[in-house]
Amino acid sequence: MGLAKKLGGEDKIEVPMSSMIDVVFLLLIYFIVTYKEEIPEAHLQVTLPAPSSQQAPDIPPTPPLSLEVHPREYRLKGTPMLPDTIKRVLGALAANDPEITVVIKTNVAAPMKNLITILDICNGVNLKNLNVVTLE
Amino acid sequence: MKKRRGSDSVETPVASLIDVVFLLIIFFVVTASVEKDIIDTSIQLARAESVKPEQKKNPLTVIINVRDDGSYNIAKQPMRLQQIYNILYNTMMKYGAEVPILIRADAETEYRAVADLQDTITKVGFYKVRLAALAQ
Repeated sequence: MGLAKKLGGEDKIEVPMSSMIDVVFLLLIYFIVTYKEEIPEAHLQVTLPAPSSQQAPDIPPTPPLSLEVHPREYRLKGTPMLPDTIKRVLGALAANDPEITVVIKTNVAAPMKNLITILDICNGVNLKNLNVVTLE
Repeated sequence: MKKRRGSDSVETPVASLIDVVFLLIIFFVVTASVEKDIIDTSIQLARAESVKPEQKKNPLTVIINVRDDGSYNIAKQPMRLQQIYNILYNTMMKYGAEVPILIRADAETEYRAVADLQDTITKVGFYKVRLAALAQ
């Protein structure tokens, strides 16, 4: 007896489909419940000043590039500019000297996203020597 | 074929099904990985376009979260600056100055909160920190 039944050489096996479907649904629910979306996080490296001074730790031979981050504007060398303009100018400066020291003076009332935008622009033009200081 | 008389008497290979269930359990137990990082998901990071997402994670990284109200927490545990100072000091003593420090600040956090945190970090003796941003 049993399930297998031979009819003239033909195998006839009764498969319990309902149980198989139950297992499939169980797997489906498991994967739906355990799915976690990966948040792509990027890390921007910055150098901080020594606690005693508000300037960059070393005085570089070439004068540092001064960027300012305010709550509603950005300034490059004292001149208010839009991010796209800053990107173009920094791109040109970086092409000359990628190792130039960039000092980013940040207003305490500025939201972090402004600082991240500027750091993002600097990374985009391959400026890696970034120093973030607080604007008094 | 068997004739059914009122009650179901279907022969199901239950033993095989139990084997499949055990196999699945063992598979999921073996492939499950324990999530060590408690990520503060209430923080909405600012976007950065030109930086690639971080692939490898250094397990020694100290991740300090700063919420939009300026409060600090490590792994969702609220912290005051003095506590953060102690933790960083102990980390420095134990692992040296090469430990990466990651600051995950909300996009709307005022730089003030991050500036105070950075002052604490530099007081301990770390001068390089990473700022987290959402990679596109």
